[in-house]
Amino acid sequence: MTALFSKRRDGLSLSEALPDRSLFVLVAMMGFLAALTLAGASGAQALAARWAAGAAQLVTIQVPDPDQPASPPGGASLPAPGPQAQGNGPAADQGTDQAAPPPTVAAPNAGGLPATLPPEASTGPGAPSRAQAVLAQLAGLPPGTEVHRLSAEEISRLLAPWLGASDRSALPLPAVIRVTLPQGAYLPPTLEQNLAAKVPGVIVEQNALWSERLHSLANSLLTCAGLALLTVGGIAALITGQAAHTGLATRRDIIATLHSLGAPDGYIAGRFARRTASLAFGGGLVGALLACPPLLFLLRMAAPFGSMTPTVDSPDLTTAPAQAIMASFDLVPQGLLGGLAALPVAAALICWLTTQVMVRLWLRRLP
Amino acid sequence: MIRLDHVSWRRGRKDHAPVLSHLSFNVPQGGFRWLLGPSGAGKSSLLRLLHVETLPSAGRMEILGQAVGEQTKRAALVRLRQRIGMVHQDYRLMPDLSLADNVALPLRLQKRGEDEIQTEVEAILKWVGLGARMGVSAAHLSGGEQQRTAIARAIIHRPGLILADEPTNALEESQAHRLLDMFAQLSAMGTTVIVATHNETLIRRLARPALVLEAGKLVADEGHPPA
Repeated sequence: MTALFSKRRDGLSLSEALPDRSLFVLVAMMGFLAALTLAGASGAQALAARWAAGAAQLVTIQVPDPDQPASPPGGASLPAPGPQAQGNGPAADQGTDQAAPPPTVAAPNAGGLPATLPPEASTGPGAPSRAQAVLAQLAGLPPGTEVHRLSAEEISRLLAPWLGASDRSALPLPAVIRVTLPQGAYLPPTLEQNLAAKVPGVIVEQNALWSERLHSLANSLLTCAGLALLTVGGIAALITGQAAHTGLATRRDIIATLHSLGAPDGYIAGRFARRTASLAFGGGLVGALLACPPLLFLLRMAAPFGSMTPTVDSPDLTTAPAQAIMASFDLVPQGLLGGLAALPVAAALICWLTTQVMVRLWLRRLP
Repeated sequence: MIRLDHVSWRRGRKDHAPVLSHLSFNVPQGGFRWLLGPSGAGKSSLLRLLHVETLPSAGRMEILGQAVGEQTKRAALVRLRQRIGMVHQDYRLMPDLSLADNVALPLRLQKRGEDEIQTEVEAILKWVGLGARMGVSAAHLSGGEQQRTAIARAIIHRPGLILADEPTNALEESQAHRLLDMFAQLSAMGTTVIVATHNETLIRRLARPALVLEAGKLVADEGHPPA
């Protein structure tokens, strides 16, 4: 007796009514696109966050006439550095300072001068140089702050693209101090004011502006990625709607009969929705899997630019492809992995919802 | 109980002429009515209206205690359809399903258990003489077999109202008489039955009141003759 009943319980025969292969293939293609978009968004977000975080923590301080006394006896301050001061000031006579070993100190957060200061930076006993005065101010920064005065070689390397390898001893170069703040720390709001008061002419370059710009860039990229994903989802919905419409058209009489037998709208819509959702899940899964090889390849290439595992020790794709692929999975950010895993579910959900709406709207034509 | 009060129905736009005009009649629970009239009189349209496949354009209609109109909730209409058994002139079987699956449909829509469905389907198909054909696809049945399958599907869930549109036109005389006897039995047990037919032999065999339609109008209601 059981053989009398088939697996087909309602006569809808949706495996024949819905254009299975085309819906499956189209959803797979969109899943592929969505996976790539997701990867792009994830990469952009990670890089932008890293850049923005780095920029936000970095402060550069330029000290013109670094070896001049900070506050000459009598309280008279130095004239602000300007074109008239260049080349004929005392700094010009002290080019040897540029070769001094740079101090790299951790802010002791206990006040006072850093332990190592360039001894030749002082212009005389009891009279700290302007650079020393700045370093002394920086000693009060939060614990973990790294203060580094660039050496002459480092400054030369910075200037090399513009000035070449020529002798720059005659140039009145400022001292450059790089301050790297620990995560979550900020410069005291009064620091710039204090420095200006004690060492006039000091230029403090905070990178907060760059950080904001990078944040804006990251947000723009994420918005673009979001719009791309929405577009892909919208196209998926349209295609599913079309497929459902085709299925309804080919099964019009059967649906009318089922309806007249007392099948609720939810029953008929549910049958269609389950069918399209299962097709979309399969398509989304295939699309996400197809996107994995190019994504892993891109991630391997991008690894040196991020904080991911360096590729130096990674197995080679040509000699040990299996190990290389397994190692590449370690490079996939967790968020992206989650996104890829969610793709088939999202595709199924979109198609399920679209079909439910389409079929229910169509059934509204019947009483 | 069926109650129609000046019910009209038109196909399509409001400016179209009504297919059914100002029909008013009552059929009590367990009543049997022949539905008579020439072709095009509106018999099939009235049966579709009573089956709630369409809604009245005007007037008031009540079927099995449920008022039917534009304002009636869809869920109520669904429940009502599940209480009606309809034998269409063109059978309306699901060609992809086996005979047994076709007959089981009303029970499945009512979410009955599979064991119960199996027992009921087996019994009803044996009764209509199709016990040996249960697993055959509906597409491979003869006209008479399809008609018997449609009849089995219409009565398997013991509906409160049975509507039949020319239910015997593909049946042999003996089968037709058997079917008629069954309708009479169901009517006696409290099921309201309305049968549209041109078969005068049948009408003579079972003397029951008739509703007579002409050009969409009720010209005679033998159940309630004018005073």
